[in-house]
Amino acid sequence: MSSGQGTIIAKRSISLSKTYLVVGILMALLGVLISSLSGVTGNLSTTGIPVNATGARSLDLTTALPLVSVALQVFAAIIFSIPVLMLYVYDKNNGVLEYFLSLGMNQGDVYRQYLKAALILSSGLVGFEVIINVVAGLITGVSGLMLLEVSGLVVALALPVVSFDALIMMSFSSLQKQRVGSNQPLGMAIGVLMVMPAYIAPLAVPSLALAIDLLLAGVIVVLSLLMYLSSSRLISREKLLP
Amino acid sequence: MPTLELVGVSSGYGGKPVLHDITFKAQESAIYVVLGPNGAGKTTLFRTIAGILEPYSGEVLFDGEDLTRSKEARNRINYLSHYNAIPEEMTVRGALDFYARIEGGNADEVLSLLSLGELEDKKVSDLSQGQKKRVSIAKVFLRERDLYLLDEPTSNLDPAVSKEIRDILLGLSKDRIVLYSSHNLYEARDVGTNLILVRDGEIGYFDKISNIKSKEYRVGIRTTTDISKMIDAKLGEGGYYVLSVSTPEEAGLALKKLVENGVLVTEMRQLDNPLQDLFEDNYDQHPAKTERRVVKPS
Repeated sequence: MSSGQGTIIAKRSISLSKTYLVVGILMALLGVLISSLSGVTGNLSTTGIPVNATGARSLDLTTALPLVSVALQVFAAIIFSIPVLMLYVYDKNNGVLEYFLSLGMNQGDVYRQYLKAALILSSGLVGFEVIINVVAGLITGVSGLMLLEVSGLVVALALPVVSFDALIMMSFSSLQKQRVGSNQPLGMAIGVLMVMPAYIAPLAVPSLALAIDLLLAGVIVVLSLLMYLSSSRLISREKLLP
Repeated sequence: MPTLELVGVSSGYGGKPVLHDITFKAQESAIYVVLGPNGAGKTTLFRTIAGILEPYSGEVLFDGEDLTRSKEARNRINYLSHYNAIPEEMTVRGALDFYARIEGGNADEVLSLLSLGELEDKKVSDLSQGQKKRVSIAKVFLRERDLYLLDEPTSNLDPAVSKEIRDILLGLSKDRIVLYSSHNLYEARDVGTNLILVRDGEIGYFDKISNIKSKEYRVGIRTTTDISKMIDAKLGEGGYYVLSVSTPEEAGLALKKLVENGVLVTEMRQLDNPLQDLFEDNYDQHPAKTERRVVKPS
């Protein structure tokens, strides 16, 4: 399969289902909106709100909101890549994957093309998120450093999470005992769970939120690589048959 | 001439063997019809030869190269699964272009070869089962290969298109090996020169179809004359006089006798298919079973 096949698979995924793409874009816009609110709250001089009765700790919205929005924007990227995984199951059940194998590919070659397609789609959304974040942040007065931080974290988290999620969804779908391959939502659930710390950290431990996000990105990169390298050995060719 | 050789191949799914110790050597360019009841292991045999399934033991060799390990050898094979393997969201042309980009070839040529011109802008999902099958077959002819593995290629096709496909395959088989599975015994007899019978994951018979010996030949003779007093034939199915003989030569002698008596014979045909006995339950009593005409590679 040539390098352009990832792009073809991405295009086929788009034609298969546009609903996920619309939901992904809406979720990304919601994330950008939440991030931009920090600029608005900063302009209103609302530096914090009490989070408990004693008022001993306060939540800095100008920091917390952009970081919470990172998790939301990463989730949007996961949703945006789901059509590729739907296409994988569809191609598996329709015999397309079997045909790829008959052309001399192995399971690793097949996984790589669908993974590439998932990354092509999600990269499109992540690029869109970065641009909209910057534009909206400049309009609402979010600090340059915060814009850089949010954009960097969205890229650093979204692409590894999408890679991991795509691989785990394909694996769950392939390893399912019954050959319909409908187990892939399990993979998405795990992907969402993995992003959970990025939701909670800015609210629970704001001072460590950035470090937690970066650590999470690193862990997911390592897991994705392990998953990718081992998938060809763990999952036999017959698991790709209809 | 290409040579396909299976040596002691066992293969299956999830560690459970479906094929057991399969050994044969196809060393002449011909159509090898693969017959067997449902669940006998025909599709598993095709998948194993195509390199899709890795055998648990044994070797699948094509011109001496191991098909499970050599991508180059696998690239000399064309495999038609009984799943259509066509992206249904695409148009016919789009689907064929998609495969042409992956494996090479020209979509225009196969659209013309299989008379798909009228359908090229239609979505695959809007086609009938037979039309989908034609598109699926078209992708197999995108590029010429040395070994064709066709799992029930004419299922769902109307007789005219089936004949077109058979004619293409007959042309290909002049200098290539074609393995062709079918449940239609008459089609198998018409198209194939060699037979591979798969039963319970084993090769039950491997030889030329012309070498199959029937226990009995029933010959239908169509004529306007009552011939029941001349030869031992009675008017029976389809308006034929039915003659039962033990060899084809006896049928020839009966025909000679009729002609000598001035009878005008308008049609004479074998009513039973010699593959029938092999395929059906009486296989165990068939001479082929006891002879085990399996060619073992030296």
